[in-house]
Amino acid sequence: MNGPNPYFLAAFVLYVILLMAIAVWAARRTKTVMDFWVFGQKMGPVLATWSLIANFVSSVSVIGFTGAVYASGYSLMTHTILGLMLGVSGLYFVVGLVRRLNVLTFPDLVARVTGRQAARPLAGSVLLLSGWLYLVMQLVGAGLLVTAITGVPYQYMVWIIGIVFILYTAVGGLVSVAWTDLVQGVIMVASVVVALAYMLVDLGGLTEINTRFAEMNPAFVDPTGGGQLSWLVIGATFLAFFGTLFTEQDMLIRIAATKDVRTAKIHLAASGAILSVFYSLLILLGGATAVALVGSGMGVDNPDAAFPTLITQYVPTWIGVALVLGVMSAILSTTDTRLHAIGMTVARDIYSYFRPNVSDAHLMRVSRTATVLLGLLATAAAMNPPGTIIVLYGFRAVLLTSAFLIPVYVAIYWTALDGRAVLAAIIAGAVVGLGAQITGGSIGPVPATFCGVGAAVALLLLSHWVLGSRRKQEVALATVAADEGVS
Amino acid sequence: MKPLGLPLPMFLVFAIVILGGSLGLIHYLIVHVLLRRPFGDEVPGTLPRFAIRGERPTTEPSEGGSR
Repeated sequence: MNGPNPYFLAAFVLYVILLMAIAVWAARRTKTVMDFWVFGQKMGPVLATWSLIANFVSSVSVIGFTGAVYASGYSLMTHTILGLMLGVSGLYFVVGLVRRLNVLTFPDLVARVTGRQAARPLAGSVLLLSGWLYLVMQLVGAGLLVTAITGVPYQYMVWIIGIVFILYTAVGGLVSVAWTDLVQGVIMVASVVVALAYMLVDLGGLTEINTRFAEMNPAFVDPTGGGQLSWLVIGATFLAFFGTLFTEQDMLIRIAATKDVRTAKIHLAASGAILSVFYSLLILLGGATAVALVGSGMGVDNPDAAFPTLITQYVPTWIGVALVLGVMSAILSTTDTRLHAIGMTVARDIYSYFRPNVSDAHLMRVSRTATVLLGLLATAAAMNPPGTIIVLYGFRAVLLTSAFLIPVYVAIYWTALDGRAVLAAIIAGAVVGLGAQITGGSIGPVPATFCGVGAAVALLLLSHWVLGSRRKQEVALATVAADEGVS
Repeated sequence: MKPLGLPLPMFLVFAIVILGGSLGLIHYLIVHVLLRRPFGDEVPGTLPRFAIRGERPTTEPSEGGSR
């Protein structure tokens, strides 16, 4: 592209103005720290559903998933998308209990099941790093994508995006985030539906698109990518993505924000159904993108360039504008949620643990300050992300799933579990999962996620058995001692 | 058989994804709408107000003890 596209740029500017107006309105409704953190625990079903949908679909989903389909076909559905969708449904089935526990954050939940308040800052630190890395990578993807579409240089675009979402997140907390998400979610789904409808008409229908996609490479329409993916790898990828749904801070914060168990259930039930259709359409749009670009001689070497090329060179300008708005929605709705979550992690899980007696107003100031500082830091890092950030980012799904999935959620139901066994299982899962990922992604043929989750399960059962046996011995000795004292 | 131009296994994966994502909705409609089962927090006070600064609710187990 030679220079900024005036239509795309105008759409971008108008969109930002709309968001800032919503944020200013929402900020007036943010009066307490509970409003800022969890919407005063008054979020209704419609807002909660669309807020979750908007948060769920990121710029990485839009650009990365369509790019992956362009390069490798529909096999992404077999592991990543299936894992994510079953994760949403799985969370639905445990959300009643989680909401009734009335924890605000995931570290709160960890503290409850381990019986140790120190778990809050410890788990909070892991989630803070994970959330911040996710934010940096989202900003990198977003900056590259919007630069490719609008023509504005990356170094400017990443700061424009950064300042916009930092401002409205810091001003209104989850109230701003949720209301902007509502708008963004609707725009995002509508833009993908409109774009796919256009492509269906343009390319002669879905059957024609899939037939031509299969002709490009039969492996593109094979669930295992023509045998390129083993079932072990598919299973591990599925499990890693499935597990992140249960262990990410923003998911727990949203559950805490709902006004009751009914709302918590509705928002996951409705989101799961809408997202599963949305992702199926997005993946089909990826196939249509490949057929359209290759068929018209616009093929790209870098798969991540496929979707921007479709927007800027293939579809008419009005469809392009709709997609630009959809892409911007995907970017901002995910970055604002993650930024809000890490700001809350600092104030709620770490700061308030060490200073438990500060006022609510003080905690809100800490949340806002952390939101601004961590947002600026993420934006600065996204300007030129060091290799270590990219490497660490690759570890987060394995780490979260290995460490937290089994110990925390088993402990919610198995109340007789010893808190120390839960803690030991978390540490074992984290060490083994992360270790396997660092040393090449597997131990022998077993992928890192299976290693980590397996270690967590083994240590959970073993330490519960050992601690349980020891407690029985202690009880028996105490009984004998008491009997001797009586006699 | 190639529904929508896809080999049957790939078509089934799409169907399973949509079904998998809709499990919660199916459960909700059957259990809470048709059978009218309660959600467990209908009685006022069963969803306790959480202490903002992280103090444990009084019913919570003590630090270091078994659960």
